[in-house]
Amino acid sequence: MDITKEINGSKMTVKINGRLDTNSAPELESEVMENIEGIEELVFDLSQMPYTSSAGLRVFLKAQKQMNKQGSMSVIGACEDVLEVFEITGFSDIINIA
Amino acid sequence: MKHTFENNTLTVYLAGRIDSSNAADVEKEILDIGFAPDVKVIVDMQDLEYISSAGLRVILRLKKSNADTEIINACSDVYEIFDMTGFTELMSISKAYREISVEGCEIIGEGANGLVYRIDADTIIKVYKNPDSLDEIHNERELARKAFVMGIPTAIPYDVVKVGNLYGSVFELLNAEGFAKLLIEDPSRSDELAKESVEILKAIHSTHLKPGELPDKKKTAIRWAEHTKAYVDPAVGDKILEMMKAIPDTDTMLHGDYHIKNIMKQNGENLLIDMDTLAMGHPIFEFAGIFMAYVAFSSVDRDNVKGFLGIDYECAVQFWKSTLKYYFEGKDQAFIDDVEKKAAMICFTRLVRRTAEKVGLDKPGARAFFEYCKNYLETNIDTVDSLYFE
Repeated sequence: MDITKEINGSKMTVKINGRLDTNSAPELESEVMENIEGIEELVFDLSQMPYTSSAGLRVFLKAQKQMNKQGSMSVIGACEDVLEVFEITGFSDIINIA
Repeated sequence: MKHTFENNTLTVYLAGRIDSSNAADVEKEILDIGFAPDVKVIVDMQDLEYISSAGLRVILRLKKSNADTEIINACSDVYEIFDMTGFTELMSISKAYREISVEGCEIIGEGANGLVYRIDADTIIKVYKNPDSLDEIHNERELARKAFVMGIPTAIPYDVVKVGNLYGSVFELLNAEGFAKLLIEDPSRSDELAKESVEILKAIHSTHLKPGELPDKKKTAIRWAEHTKAYVDPAVGDKILEMMKAIPDTDTMLHGDYHIKNIMKQNGENLLIDMDTLAMGHPIFEFAGIFMAYVAFSSVDRDNVKGFLGIDYECAVQFWKSTLKYYFEGKDQAFIDDVEKKAAMICFTRLVRRTAEKVGLDKPGARAFFEYCKNYLETNIDTVDSLYFE
Protein backbone atom coordinates (compact mmCIF):
# COMPACT_ATOMS: atom_id res chain seq x y z
CA MET A 1 0.00 0.00 0.00
CA ASP A 2 1.09 3.58 -0.52
CA ILE A 3 -0.51 6.83 0.49
CA THR A 4 -0.76 10.07 -1.44
CA LYS A 5 -1.60 13.06 0.66
CA GLU A 6 -2.64 16.47 -0.56
CA ILE A 7 -3.13 19.42 1.75
CA ASN A 8 -4.87 22.45 0.38
CA GLY A 9 -5.42 25.08 3.06
CA SER A 10 -7.67 23.43 5.64
CA LYS A 11 -8.60 20.52 3.34
CA MET A 12 -6.66 17.26 3.32
CA THR A 13 -7.23 14.51 0.78
CA VAL A 14 -5.68 11.14 1.49
CA LYS A 15 -5.60 8.59 -1.30
CA ILE A 16 -4.96 4.97 -0.41
CA ASN A 17 -3.42 2.77 -3.06
CA GLY A 18 -3.64 -0.94 -2.26
CA ARG A 19 -4.89 -3.15 0.56
CA LEU A 20 -5.39 -1.58 3.96
CA ASP A 21 -4.56 -4.25 6.53
CA THR A 22 -2.82 -4.69 9.87
CA ASN A 23 0.55 -4.09 8.23
CA SER A 24 -0.38 -0.89 6.44
CA ALA A 25 -2.95 0.61 8.83
CA PRO A 26 -0.39 2.01 11.33
CA GLU A 27 1.29 3.93 8.50
CA LEU A 28 -2.04 5.46 7.45
CA GLU A 29 -2.84 6.32 11.03
CA SER A 30 0.39 8.19 11.67
CA GLU A 31 0.22 9.91 8.28
CA VAL A 32 -3.30 11.20 9.01
CA MET A 33 -3.02 11.95 12.70
CA GLU A 34 0.28 13.82 12.34
CA ASN A 35 -1.24 16.19 9.82
CA ILE A 36 -4.77 16.55 11.13
CA GLU A 37 -4.21 19.70 13.17
CA GLY A 38 -6.03 22.64 11.60
CA ILE A 39 -7.79 20.44 9.02
CA GLU A 40 -11.49 21.21 8.64
CA GLU A 41 -12.26 18.92 5.75
CA LEU A 42 -10.76 15.43 5.54
CA VAL A 43 -11.41 13.28 2.47
CA PHE A 44 -10.31 9.66 2.01
CA ASP A 45 -10.11 8.64 -1.63
CA LEU A 46 -10.62 4.87 -1.63
CA SER A 47 -10.91 4.37 -5.40
CA GLN A 48 -7.66 2.39 -5.45
CA MET A 49 -8.26 0.42 -2.24
CA PRO A 50 -9.63 -3.09 -2.88
CA TYR A 51 -9.79 -4.25 0.77
CA THR A 52 -9.80 -3.01 4.33
CA SER A 53 -9.34 -5.02 7.51
CA SER A 54 -10.64 -4.03 10.92
CA ALA A 55 -7.33 -2.30 11.60
CA GLY A 56 -8.07 -0.02 8.64
CA LEU A 57 -11.62 0.64 9.78
CA ARG A 58 -10.32 1.64 13.19
CA VAL A 59 -8.14 4.30 11.56
CA PHE A 60 -11.22 5.75 9.81
CA LEU A 61 -13.11 5.62 13.09
CA LYS A 62 -10.34 7.42 14.93
CA ALA A 63 -10.10 10.07 12.23
CA GLN A 64 -13.89 10.50 12.28
CA LYS A 65 -13.86 11.02 16.05
CA GLN A 66 -11.20 13.69 15.69
CA MET A 67 -12.97 15.40 12.78
CA ASN A 68 -16.24 15.49 14.74
CA LYS A 69 -14.45 18.06 16.90
CA GLN A 70 -12.93 20.17 14.17
CA GLY A 71 -14.79 19.79 10.88
CA SER A 72 -16.06 17.09 8.56
CA MET A 73 -14.82 13.85 7.05
CA SER A 74 -15.93 11.80 4.07
CA VAL A 75 -14.83 8.81 2.07
CA ILE A 76 -15.15 8.73 -1.71
CA GLY A 77 -14.75 6.16 -4.46
CA ALA A 78 -15.16 3.04 -2.31
CA CYS A 79 -15.53 -0.13 -4.38
CA GLU A 80 -18.44 -2.55 -3.99
CA ASP A 81 -16.59 -4.89 -1.59
CA VAL A 82 -15.42 -2.08 0.67
CA LEU A 83 -18.89 -0.49 0.64
CA GLU A 84 -20.30 -3.80 1.78
CA VAL A 85 -17.86 -3.90 4.69
CA PHE A 86 -18.93 -0.37 5.67
CA GLU A 87 -22.54 -1.50 5.44
CA ILE A 88 -22.38 -4.70 7.49
CA THR A 89 -20.16 -3.27 10.19
CA GLY A 90 -22.49 -0.34 10.71
CA PHE A 91 -19.83 2.15 9.57
CA SER A 92 -22.15 3.54 6.93
CA ASP A 93 -24.26 4.98 9.76
CA ILE A 94 -21.28 6.79 11.24
CA ILE A 95 -19.16 7.82 8.30
CA ASN A 96 -20.16 10.09 5.46
CA ILE A 97 -19.81 7.94 2.34
CA ALA A 98 -20.03 9.89 -0.89
CA MET B 1 -48.69 -22.57 -4.79
CA LYS B 2 -47.21 -24.19 -1.71
CA HIS B 3 -48.41 -22.88 1.65
CA THR B 4 -48.59 -23.86 5.32
CA PHE B 5 -51.01 -22.66 7.95
CA GLU B 6 -50.26 -23.17 11.63
CA ASN B 7 -50.54 -21.17 14.88
CA ASN B 8 -52.53 -18.50 13.11
CA THR B 9 -49.58 -17.97 10.77
CA LEU B 10 -49.86 -18.44 7.05
CA THR B 11 -46.66 -19.01 5.09
CA VAL B 12 -46.88 -18.78 1.31
CA TYR B 13 -44.02 -19.76 -0.97
CA LEU B 14 -43.62 -17.74 -4.15
CA ALA B 15 -41.55 -19.09 -7.01
CA GLY B 16 -40.29 -18.08 -10.43
CA ARG B 17 -41.32 -14.65 -11.73
CA ILE B 18 -44.26 -12.45 -10.81
CA ASP B 19 -45.16 -9.83 -13.40
CA SER B 20 -48.26 -8.38 -15.10
CA SER B 21 -48.91 -11.67 -16.87
CA ASN B 22 -49.48 -13.70 -13.69
CA ALA B 23 -49.81 -11.25 -10.75
CA ALA B 24 -53.63 -11.47 -10.72
CA ASP B 25 -53.50 -15.27 -10.66
CA VAL B 26 -50.97 -15.28 -7.84
CA GLU B 27 -53.16 -12.91 -5.83
CA LYS B 28 -56.26 -15.01 -6.39
CA GLU B 29 -54.41 -18.16 -5.38
CA ILE B 30 -53.30 -16.54 -2.12
CA LEU B 31 -56.76 -15.16 -1.31
CA ASP B 32 -58.39 -18.50 -2.13
CA ILE B 33 -56.55 -20.01 0.84
CA GLY B 34 -58.93 -17.97 2.99
CA PHE B 35 -57.64 -16.27 6.13
CA ALA B 36 -58.79 -13.62 8.61
CA PRO B 37 -57.18 -10.13 8.88
CA ASP B 38 -55.51 -11.00 12.17
CA VAL B 39 -53.50 -13.84 10.61
CA LYS B 40 -49.75 -13.31 10.40
CA VAL B 41 -48.64 -13.74 6.79
CA ILE B 42 -45.09 -14.76 5.92
CA VAL B 43 -44.15 -14.59 2.25
CA ASP B 44 -41.19 -16.87 1.62
CA MET B 45 -39.40 -15.73 -1.55
CA GLN B 46 -36.58 -18.26 -1.59
CA ASP B 47 -37.45 -19.44 -5.10
CA LEU B 48 -38.60 -16.10 -6.48
CA GLU B 49 -36.34 -14.66 -9.16
CA TYR B 50 -38.16 -11.48 -10.13
CA ILE B 51 -41.08 -9.30 -9.08
CA SER B 52 -42.55 -6.49 -11.19
CA SER B 53 -44.66 -3.52 -10.08
CA ALA B 54 -47.81 -5.62 -10.60
CA GLY B 55 -46.37 -8.13 -8.12
CA LEU B 56 -45.46 -5.34 -5.68
CA ARG B 57 -49.06 -4.19 -5.71
CA VAL B 58 -50.17 -7.69 -4.69
CA ILE B 59 -47.78 -7.54 -1.73
CA LEU B 60 -49.03 -4.06 -0.84
CA ARG B 61 -52.67 -5.18 -0.78
CA LEU B 62 -51.68 -8.17 1.34
CA LYS B 63 -49.93 -5.85 3.80
CA LYS B 64 -53.07 -3.66 3.88
CA SER B 65 -55.46 -6.53 4.60
CA ASN B 66 -53.10 -8.24 7.06
CA ALA B 67 -50.96 -5.70 8.86
CA ASP B 68 -48.70 -8.43 10.20
CA THR B 69 -47.21 -9.42 6.84
CA GLU B 70 -43.52 -10.00 6.34
CA ILE B 71 -41.21 -11.17 3.60
CA ILE B 72 -38.35 -13.58 4.16
CA ASN B 73 -35.59 -15.17 2.08
CA ALA B 74 -35.57 -12.54 -0.69
CA CYS B 75 -32.63 -13.09 -3.05
CA SER B 76 -30.33 -10.11 -3.70
CA ASP B 77 -32.06 -9.07 -6.94
CA VAL B 78 -35.52 -9.19 -5.43
CA TYR B 79 -34.33 -7.47 -2.25
CA GLU B 80 -32.88 -4.66 -4.31
CA ILE B 81 -36.26 -4.07 -5.96
CA PHE B 82 -37.88 -3.81 -2.50
CA ASP B 83 -35.11 -1.51 -1.35
CA MET B 84 -35.35 0.84 -4.33
CA THR B 85 -39.11 1.10 -4.13
CA GLY B 86 -39.07 1.89 -0.41
CA PHE B 87 -40.85 -1.34 0.57
CA THR B 88 -38.06 -2.13 3.02
CA GLU B 89 -39.18 0.82 5.13
CA LEU B 90 -42.81 -0.17 4.89
CA MET B 91 -42.57 -3.73 6.15
CA SER B 92 -40.19 -6.33 7.48
CA ILE B 93 -38.22 -7.79 4.57
CA SER B 94 -35.25 -10.04 5.14
CA LYS B 95 -32.66 -11.24 2.69
CA ALA B 96 -31.88 -14.87 2.01
CA TYR B 97 -28.72 -16.04 3.68
CA ARG B 98 -25.75 -16.49 1.39
CA GLU B 99 -24.92 -20.18 1.07
CA ILE B 100 -21.35 -21.27 1.38
CA SER B 101 -19.54 -24.58 1.57
CA VAL B 102 -16.79 -25.36 4.04
CA GLU B 103 -15.71 -28.47 2.18
CA GLY B 104 -11.93 -28.70 2.17
CA CYS B 105 -11.56 -25.67 4.45
CA GLU B 106 -9.03 -25.90 7.26
CA ILE B 107 -10.54 -26.29 10.74
CA ILE B 108 -8.78 -23.81 12.99
CA GLY B 109 -10.73 -24.12 16.19
CA GLU B 110 -13.49 -25.89 18.05
CA GLY B 111 -15.71 -24.30 20.63
CA ALA B 112 -18.53 -25.60 22.78
CA ASN B 113 -21.14 -24.63 20.21
CA GLY B 114 -19.42 -25.12 16.89
CA LEU B 115 -16.43 -25.43 14.59
CA VAL B 116 -14.32 -22.60 13.21
CA TYR B 117 -13.00 -22.84 9.63
CA ARG B 118 -10.70 -20.60 7.65
CA ILE B 119 -12.50 -19.83 4.37
CA ASP B 120 -9.86 -17.64 2.75
CA ALA B 121 -6.82 -15.56 3.65
CA ASP B 122 -8.91 -12.87 5.35
CA THR B 123 -11.95 -14.59 6.79
CA ILE B 124 -13.07 -17.35 9.12
CA ILE B 125 -16.47 -18.85 9.70
CA LYS B 126 -17.93 -20.16 12.93
CA VAL B 127 -20.44 -22.88 12.07
CA TYR B 128 -22.92 -23.57 14.86
CA LYS B 129 -23.73 -27.21 15.66
CA ASN B 130 -27.31 -26.43 16.61
CA PRO B 131 -29.52 -25.71 13.56
CA ASP B 132 -31.78 -23.56 15.78
CA SER B 133 -29.06 -21.16 16.84
CA LEU B 134 -30.07 -18.31 14.54
CA ASP B 135 -31.24 -16.01 17.36
CA GLU B 136 -28.08 -16.66 19.32
CA ILE B 137 -25.94 -15.88 16.24
CA HIS B 138 -27.76 -12.63 15.55
CA ASN B 139 -27.46 -11.60 19.17
CA GLU B 140 -23.72 -12.30 19.23
CA ARG B 141 -23.19 -10.47 15.96
CA GLU B 142 -25.20 -7.45 17.04
CA LEU B 143 -23.09 -7.12 20.18
CA ALA B 144 -19.84 -7.49 18.23
CA ARG B 145 -21.01 -4.87 15.77
CA LYS B 146 -21.96 -2.46 18.51
CA ALA B 147 -18.58 -2.85 20.17
CA PHE B 148 -16.84 -2.40 16.83
CA VAL B 149 -18.49 0.87 15.86
CA MET B 150 -17.89 2.18 19.35
CA GLY B 151 -14.19 1.76 18.73
CA ILE B 152 -13.51 -1.33 20.85
CA PRO B 153 -10.71 -3.15 19.04
CA THR B 154 -12.21 -6.40 17.81
CA ALA B 155 -12.59 -8.44 14.60
CA ILE B 156 -15.11 -7.37 11.94
CA PRO B 157 -18.28 -9.41 12.13
CA TYR B 158 -19.30 -10.02 8.52
CA ASP B 159 -22.54 -11.72 7.51
CA VAL B 160 -24.56 -14.70 8.63
CA VAL B 161 -24.56 -17.51 6.07
CA LYS B 162 -26.05 -20.94 5.50
CA VAL B 163 -23.81 -23.98 5.51
CA GLY B 164 -25.93 -26.93 4.45
CA ASN B 165 -28.72 -27.04 7.04
CA LEU B 166 -26.62 -25.18 9.64
CA TYR B 167 -25.89 -21.49 10.12
CA GLY B 168 -22.53 -19.81 10.29
CA SER B 169 -21.19 -16.44 11.28
CA VAL B 170 -18.38 -14.96 9.19
CA PHE B 171 -15.64 -12.96 10.88
CA GLU B 172 -12.44 -11.31 9.85
CA LEU B 173 -9.44 -13.58 10.39
CA LEU B 174 -7.03 -12.26 12.99
CA ASN B 175 -3.45 -13.40 12.70
CA ALA B 176 -3.11 -12.96 16.38
CA GLU B 177 -1.81 -14.74 19.45
CA GLY B 178 -3.70 -14.85 22.71
CA PHE B 179 -2.26 -13.21 25.82
CA ALA B 180 -2.59 -16.63 27.49
CA LYS B 181 -0.20 -18.18 24.97
CA LEU B 182 2.25 -15.28 25.25
CA LEU B 183 2.21 -15.58 29.02
CA ILE B 184 2.78 -19.34 28.95
CA GLU B 185 5.73 -18.87 26.61
CA ASP B 186 7.27 -16.15 28.73
CA PRO B 187 5.89 -15.70 32.28
CA SER B 188 8.22 -12.75 32.84
CA ARG B 189 5.93 -10.69 30.58
CA SER B 190 3.15 -10.85 33.18
CA ASP B 191 3.48 -7.27 34.35
CA GLU B 192 3.70 -5.81 30.84
CA LEU B 193 0.71 -7.81 29.56
CA ALA B 194 -1.37 -6.95 32.64
CA LYS B 195 -0.69 -3.29 31.98
CA GLU B 196 -1.80 -3.65 28.34
CA SER B 197 -4.91 -5.59 29.32
CA VAL B 198 -5.84 -2.71 31.63
CA GLU B 199 -5.50 -0.21 28.76
CA ILE B 200 -8.17 -2.04 26.74
CA LEU B 201 -10.30 -2.53 29.82
CA LYS B 202 -10.23 1.21 30.44
CA ALA B 203 -11.18 1.82 26.79
CA ILE B 204 -14.21 -0.43 27.28
CA HIS B 205 -15.14 1.21 30.56
CA SER B 206 -14.91 4.69 29.08
CA THR B 207 -17.57 3.77 26.53
CA HIS B 208 -20.96 5.05 27.60
CA LEU B 209 -24.25 3.61 26.45
CA LYS B 210 -27.86 4.60 26.15
CA PRO B 211 -30.27 2.96 28.60
CA GLY B 212 -31.19 -0.53 27.46
CA GLU B 213 -28.55 -0.65 24.75
CA LEU B 214 -26.88 -3.66 26.38
CA PRO B 215 -28.09 -6.12 29.03
CA ASP B 216 -28.04 -4.65 32.56
CA LYS B 217 -25.47 -6.53 34.66
CA LYS B 218 -26.99 -5.38 37.94
CA LYS B 219 -30.25 -7.10 37.12
CA THR B 220 -28.38 -10.36 36.61
CA ALA B 221 -26.40 -9.84 39.81
CA ILE B 222 -29.57 -9.21 41.84
CA ARG B 223 -30.84 -12.53 40.55
CA TRP B 224 -27.65 -14.25 41.76
CA ALA B 225 -28.14 -12.71 45.19
CA GLU B 226 -31.82 -13.72 45.34
CA HIS B 227 -30.95 -17.32 44.54
CA THR B 228 -27.90 -17.44 46.81
CA LYS B 229 -30.04 -16.31 49.78
CA ALA B 230 -31.50 -19.80 49.97
CA TYR B 231 -28.10 -21.37 50.63
CA VAL B 232 -26.44 -19.06 53.17
CA ASP B 233 -27.17 -17.69 56.66
CA PRO B 234 -30.36 -15.60 56.18
CA ALA B 235 -28.84 -12.42 57.64
CA VAL B 236 -25.87 -12.76 55.28
CA GLY B 237 -28.11 -13.40 52.30
CA ASP B 238 -30.25 -10.34 53.12
CA LYS B 239 -27.27 -8.07 53.49
CA ILE B 240 -25.76 -9.19 50.18
CA LEU B 241 -29.03 -8.64 48.36
CA GLU B 242 -29.45 -5.18 49.90
CA MET B 243 -25.90 -4.20 48.96
CA MET B 244 -26.33 -5.58 45.44
CA LYS B 245 -29.45 -3.45 44.97
CA ALA B 246 -27.60 -0.38 46.25
CA ILE B 247 -24.90 -0.54 43.55
CA PRO B 248 -25.41 2.60 41.45
CA ASP B 249 -26.79 2.18 37.93
CA THR B 250 -24.19 3.36 35.46
CA ASP B 251 -24.07 3.55 31.66
CA THR B 252 -20.61 1.97 31.46
CA MET B 253 -19.84 -0.77 28.92
CA LEU B 254 -18.58 -4.03 30.44
CA HIS B 255 -16.93 -6.90 28.59
CA GLY B 256 -18.30 -9.55 30.94
CA ASP B 257 -15.73 -12.29 30.30
CA TYR B 258 -12.43 -10.48 30.47
CA HIS B 259 -9.35 -12.68 30.77
CA ILE B 260 -6.11 -13.51 28.95
CA LYS B 261 -7.73 -16.00 26.57
CA ASN B 262 -9.98 -13.31 25.15
CA ILE B 263 -7.26 -10.73 24.52
CA MET B 264 -5.20 -11.14 21.35
CA LYS B 265 -2.09 -9.48 20.01
CA GLN B 266 -1.69 -8.87 16.29
CA ASN B 267 1.29 -6.90 14.96
CA GLY B 268 1.64 -5.13 18.28
CA GLU B 269 -2.03 -4.16 18.36
CA ASN B 270 -4.24 -5.64 21.08
CA LEU B 271 -7.68 -6.92 20.13
CA LEU B 272 -10.58 -8.51 21.93
CA ILE B 273 -12.61 -11.56 21.00
CA ASP B 274 -15.83 -13.02 22.36
CA MET B 275 -18.21 -10.13 22.48
CA ASP B 276 -21.28 -12.17 23.35
CA THR B 277 -21.09 -11.29 27.05
CA LEU B 278 -21.07 -7.48 26.61
CA ALA B 279 -23.23 -5.74 29.18
CA MET B 280 -23.57 -2.42 30.96
CA GLY B 281 -23.28 -1.51 34.60
CA HIS B 282 -20.87 -0.57 37.37
CA PRO B 283 -17.25 -1.64 36.71
CA ILE B 284 -17.22 -3.60 40.01
CA PHE B 285 -19.11 -6.32 38.09
CA GLU B 286 -16.22 -6.53 35.63
CA PHE B 287 -13.78 -7.01 38.49
CA ALA B 288 -16.00 -9.70 39.98
CA GLY B 289 -15.78 -11.53 36.63
CA ILE B 290 -12.01 -11.09 36.33
CA PHE B 291 -11.54 -12.28 39.92
CA MET B 292 -13.58 -15.35 39.08
CA ALA B 293 -11.40 -16.27 36.09
CA TYR B 294 -8.02 -15.70 37.72
CA VAL B 295 -8.62 -16.56 41.36
CA ALA B 296 -12.02 -17.82 42.52
CA PHE B 297 -12.37 -20.79 40.15
CA SER B 298 -9.22 -22.25 41.68
CA SER B 299 -10.01 -21.51 45.33
CA VAL B 300 -10.21 -25.20 46.17
CA ASP B 301 -8.52 -26.97 43.28
CA ARG B 302 -5.45 -24.92 42.35
CA ASP B 303 -5.11 -26.79 39.04
CA ASN B 304 -8.38 -25.42 37.64
CA VAL B 305 -6.79 -22.31 36.21
CA LYS B 306 -4.16 -24.41 34.47
CA GLY B 307 -6.88 -26.25 32.59
CA PHE B 308 -8.84 -23.07 31.87
CA LEU B 309 -6.18 -20.49 31.03
CA GLY B 310 -3.03 -22.63 30.80
CA ILE B 311 -1.14 -20.75 33.50
CA ASP B 312 -0.22 -21.65 37.10
CA TYR B 313 -2.34 -20.46 40.01
CA GLU B 314 0.45 -18.22 41.34
CA CYS B 315 0.84 -16.63 37.92
CA ALA B 316 -2.93 -16.07 37.64
CA VAL B 317 -3.12 -14.45 41.07
CA GLN B 318 -0.16 -12.26 40.17
CA PHE B 319 -1.95 -11.19 36.96
CA TRP B 320 -5.07 -10.31 38.95
CA LYS B 321 -3.05 -8.21 41.41
CA SER B 322 -1.28 -6.41 38.56
CA THR B 323 -4.61 -5.75 36.86
CA LEU B 324 -5.85 -4.01 40.01
CA LYS B 325 -2.58 -2.13 40.46
CA TYR B 326 -2.61 -0.66 36.95
CA TYR B 327 -6.33 0.00 36.78
CA PHE B 328 -6.26 1.91 40.07
CA GLU B 329 -2.89 3.55 39.59
CA GLY B 330 -2.57 6.44 42.06
CA LYS B 331 -4.95 4.91 44.62
CA ASP B 332 -3.57 3.59 47.90
CA GLN B 333 -3.38 -0.08 48.82
CA ALA B 334 -6.34 0.17 51.22
CA PHE B 335 -8.58 1.31 48.35
CA ILE B 336 -7.39 -1.54 46.11
CA ASP B 337 -7.88 -4.12 48.88
CA ASP B 338 -11.41 -2.83 49.35
CA VAL B 339 -12.21 -3.22 45.63
CA GLU B 340 -10.83 -6.75 45.75
CA LYS B 341 -13.03 -7.67 48.72
CA LYS B 342 -16.14 -6.32 47.01
CA ALA B 343 -15.35 -8.07 43.74
CA ALA B 344 -14.82 -11.32 45.66
CA MET B 345 -18.13 -10.91 47.49
CA ILE B 346 -20.07 -10.49 44.24
CA CYS B 347 -18.13 -13.31 42.62
CA PHE B 348 -18.75 -15.84 45.41
CA THR B 349 -22.43 -14.85 45.50
CA ARG B 350 -22.58 -15.79 41.83
CA LEU B 351 -20.62 -19.00 42.43
CA VAL B 352 -22.83 -20.27 45.27
CA ARG B 353 -25.81 -20.07 42.97
CA ARG B 354 -23.91 -21.39 39.97
CA THR B 355 -22.47 -24.40 41.81
CA ALA B 356 -25.73 -25.34 43.53
CA GLU B 357 -28.11 -24.78 40.62
CA LYS B 358 -26.20 -24.92 37.35
CA VAL B 359 -23.32 -27.30 38.04
CA GLY B 360 -25.07 -29.48 40.62
CA LEU B 361 -23.69 -30.46 44.03
CA ASP B 362 -23.46 -34.11 43.05
CA LYS B 363 -20.70 -33.33 40.50
CA PRO B 364 -17.16 -34.29 41.58
CA GLY B 365 -15.60 -31.55 43.68
CA ALA B 366 -18.72 -29.39 43.57
CA ARG B 367 -19.69 -29.86 47.22
CA ALA B 368 -16.27 -28.77 48.55
CA PHE B 369 -16.23 -25.76 46.22
CA PHE B 370 -19.76 -24.79 47.21
CA GLU B 371 -18.85 -24.97 50.93
CA TYR B 372 -15.80 -22.80 50.29
CA CYS B 373 -17.84 -20.09 48.49
CA LYS B 374 -20.60 -20.14 51.10
CA ASN B 375 -18.07 -20.01 53.92
CA TYR B 376 -16.30 -17.08 52.26
CA LEU B 377 -19.53 -15.07 52.19
CA GLU B 378 -20.44 -15.85 55.78
CA THR B 379 -16.95 -15.17 57.14
CA ASN B 380 -16.30 -11.95 55.23
CA ILE B 381 -19.71 -10.31 55.28
CA ASP B 382 -18.70 -7.90 58.06
CA THR B 383 -15.69 -6.60 56.13
CA VAL B 384 -17.81 -4.72 53.58
CA ASP B 385 -20.61 -2.18 53.84
CA SER B 386 -21.19 -1.70 50.15
CA LEU B 387 -20.36 -3.55 46.94
CA TYR B 388 -19.10 -0.69 44.81
CA PHE B 389 -16.29 1.82 44.62
CA GLU B 390 -16.43 5.52 43.79
